[in-house]
Amino acid sequence: MGDQLGIIVLIKQVPDIEKVRFDFETGRLDRSSAEAVINPFDLNALEAAVQIKEAVGATVTAISMGPKAAESALRDAIARGADRGILLTDTRFAGADTLATSYALSSAIRRLSSFDLVICGEKTIDGDTAQVGPEVAEFLGIPHVAYVEEILEADKKRIIVKSRMGRNYYVLALRLPGLITVTKDVNAPRLPTLRDKIRSRRAEITVWDADSLSEVADTRLFGVSGSPTTVARVYAPHAEKRKGMIFRGNPEEAAEKIVGVLKDLRVVG
Amino acid sequence: MTRKIDEVAEIFRGIIGPEWVITERVYMESYLRDETPDVSRPPAAENLILLKPSSTGEVSEILKAANEMRIPVFPVGGRTGLVGGCIPTEDGIILSLERMNRIDVDEENLMATAEAGATLADLIGAADEAGLFFPLHPGDEGAQIGGLISTNAGGVRAVKYGVMRNYVKGLEVVLATGDVLNLGGPLIKNNMGYDLMDLIIGSEGTLCVITRAVIKLYPKSGCSVTLILPYDDRSDAIRTVPSILRSGVIPLAIEYVEIKELNKAAEHIGDEWPVQSGKAQLIIILSGRSEDEVYSACEVISEVAEENNAGEPIIAETRDEQERILRIRSNIYTALKAEMVDILDITVPMSRLGDLMNSIDETSRKYGVYLPVYGHAGDGNLHIHLMKEGGEVPENIGEVKREIYDAGVRLGGVITGEHGIGHLRIGELDRFISDKELSLMREIKRIFDPNNILNPGKIFPRG
Repeated sequence: MGDQLGIIVLIKQVPDIEKVRFDFETGRLDRSSAEAVINPFDLNALEAAVQIKEAVGATVTAISMGPKAAESALRDAIARGADRGILLTDTRFAGADTLATSYALSSAIRRLSSFDLVICGEKTIDGDTAQVGPEVAEFLGIPHVAYVEEILEADKKRIIVKSRMGRNYYVLALRLPGLITVTKDVNAPRLPTLRDKIRSRRAEITVWDADSLSEVADTRLFGVSGSPTTVARVYAPHAEKRKGMIFRGNPEEAAEKIVGVLKDLRVVG
Repeated sequence: MTRKIDEVAEIFRGIIGPEWVITERVYMESYLRDETPDVSRPPAAENLILLKPSSTGEVSEILKAANEMRIPVFPVGGRTGLVGGCIPTEDGIILSLERMNRIDVDEENLMATAEAGATLADLIGAADEAGLFFPLHPGDEGAQIGGLISTNAGGVRAVKYGVMRNYVKGLEVVLATGDVLNLGGPLIKNNMGYDLMDLIIGSEGTLCVITRAVIKLYPKSGCSVTLILPYDDRSDAIRTVPSILRSGVIPLAIEYVEIKELNKAAEHIGDEWPVQSGKAQLIIILSGRSEDEVYSACEVISEVAEENNAGEPIIAETRDEQERILRIRSNIYTALKAEMVDILDITVPMSRLGDLMNSIDETSRKYGVYLPVYGHAGDGNLHIHLMKEGGEVPENIGEVKREIYDAGVRLGGVITGEHGIGHLRIGELDRFISDKELSLMREIKRIFDPNNILNPGKIFPRG
C-alpha cells in the first residue's frame, strides 16, 4: 500500500425497510418481501472513504458478512468506488449477535496485512444498535470515534473529525490506525456511473468462510455459539391510521365537545 | 341557477343524505381551483353546491335531477389539471366522486376495477399489493381515476406502454339523463359497433360522468433502473432519443430536462440534483424481467449515449435513489409555478423535437422572454413555460404563445398532447382543427348532453 491509506469500509446488506413485511407470529422480518440494499448509513461510510481516496490517495476495501447473495452489495460498493470486496459467508457465521458479528468482522480485518482506517455507518436500519462499529474497534485494540458528521482532515497518521454527541459536538484528532462511525450528515453519497456499475457486475468478490479466519480467530466464537445474547421477542408497532371525527351542533357546543376529546387525549390541559 | 340554492340543495339531500351536500363556500374552497397557474385560472362561479355521492345509483339520480332542472354539473377529480378543466365556471353543482374509491384487482386477468374517486396513489398501491404494476405516472398521485381517464392523462412513463387510453379496457358511465352505460370490459378484442368508450376517454367531463373503470395492469418488473445522461449540447441529447428507440431498447420513460430547472426543483424540496455535469440531460427509466435483461439494455444505451457525445452516464438502482430522481423531476412544475403564467404541452413527431426547441429559442430571443422547457422526449411532448417578468404577466405573452403553437402545428404536431383544452385553450381549438371536425365534435356533445349541463364552457366556448 506504500504511502496510500488503507481504508476498510464495513457494509451490511439490509432489506428495503419501507417495503419489507414483518411476520408478527415469528417476530422476524420476511427478507424475501423486499429488495436488498446496502444499509443507507454504510453508503455514507463508503462515500467518506472514496472522498478521502480522491483527496489523498487510498485503497478502499469493503467487507461484509452475510449470505452469498450479499455479494451484490459488495459489487454495488465497487461500483461506488471501493477497490475490492470481501464477503464472509458460512453457516457458522449465521445467527450472530453484535458481539459475534464484531468478532468475525474484526478477525477478517486482522487477516488483511495492514490497514489504517476503518469506516462504518453509525448503525444499520434493520438492527439499529450502533454497537458493531465500536465493538470492532475494541476487538482490534484501536481507538474509535462514533457519530462523525464531518471529516476535517485525513492523512496517513491521523484523521480529524467532528463528532456529534447530542446537542454538542467534539472536534477530535484520531491517531491511526483507528475506526470511525459516520452519520448521514457526513456527506451525500453519489450515484455510481453506468460504466462503473457495468464493470462491477463482473468484479471478482473474495469469499472467506469461517476456516479462512482460523489463523487469526477462535472459530467457536463466530455465529450462534459466540453470541451471549439472543433476541427473545421482537415487537413491531402496529401502524395507526389517521382517524377523523365529525362534531355536529352549534359551534359553541361542537367546540366544547372537541375540547373535551382533546382533554381526554391529554393534548390540552 | 334560477332556483334558489336552498331549494336545490334540499332535493339532493334527499338523494345522498344531508352531510354530503355542501353549500357553505368555506367548505368547498379547495374544489374551486386546480393546478393551473393562478394568473391564468378562471374564477369559480358564486352560487355552487358540492355533492359527494357514494354510488353509481346516486350519481345517476343527481344527473337526472340536474338535467331536469337544467343545472350545470362540474365533475371534479383530484383537481390536478393545468387548463382549468374542472373549475366550476358557472353557477351549479360540483360533483366529487371521492367517496367512490374502491379498487378490486383481478390478478388472473391483470386488470383492476377502480371506482372513479380512487386516487392514482391508491391504484399504484393496490397493484403493488397484488404483485402487479401500473406503469403510467402522470405526476401528482392525488389525481383520481375519473380525471385520469377524462383527460387521457400521459406523463413520464408513456414510452413503453402508452397513455391512459391504452390502459382503459372498460368504463361504467352515467349520461346526463341518468342512464348508466357499461362499455368495453376485460377483453383484448371488441368490435361491436362504434367505440364509445374511446370517445369518452379524453372528453374532459363534457359527455358523461365516469363512475368506474377496468384498467389494465402489468406484471411487476424484476428489475428497474434510472439513468441520467448529461450533455453539453442540447441537440446531442435530442438526437439520442430516436437512436435509443431504433436500437430496439424501449424504456419506460425518456425525459428531457435542463440542469437549471432541475436545480430549482431540487432546492424547492430541500434536496440536491445528483448530476451537475451537462446543461441538458436525459432521464431514462428502464425495466425488465431480470437484472441481466436490464443491464444489457443499459450497455446498449451507454453505447448510443457515447456515439451522441453524452458525458458520463449515472445510474440509480435502489428504489430510494430512483424515487428521489422522479420526485425532483416531478417538482419542476411546482418549483416554477409561482412565477408561471402558463404551461404549454405541444407534441410533435419525435423526430421534430429538435426543430421545435430551436423554434422556441428563436421566439425567446425575439421577444426577450425566459422560456424554460422540459418534456417527455420519448413521446415528442414538450412542456414550455411562459413566465412572469418582474412578477408581472408580460404584455406580449399572447404573441409568444401563438408563435409557439404555430411552430408546433407547422412541425406536424398538436397544441396539447396531455393537458387537454379545458378552459384555457378554448380560443385555440378552432384555429387548429377544421370547421368540419369542430362541428362533428359539437354534434357529438349535443347528442350526449342536449341541455349542455355537463362541464359547460369547456372544450367549446359557451353558447
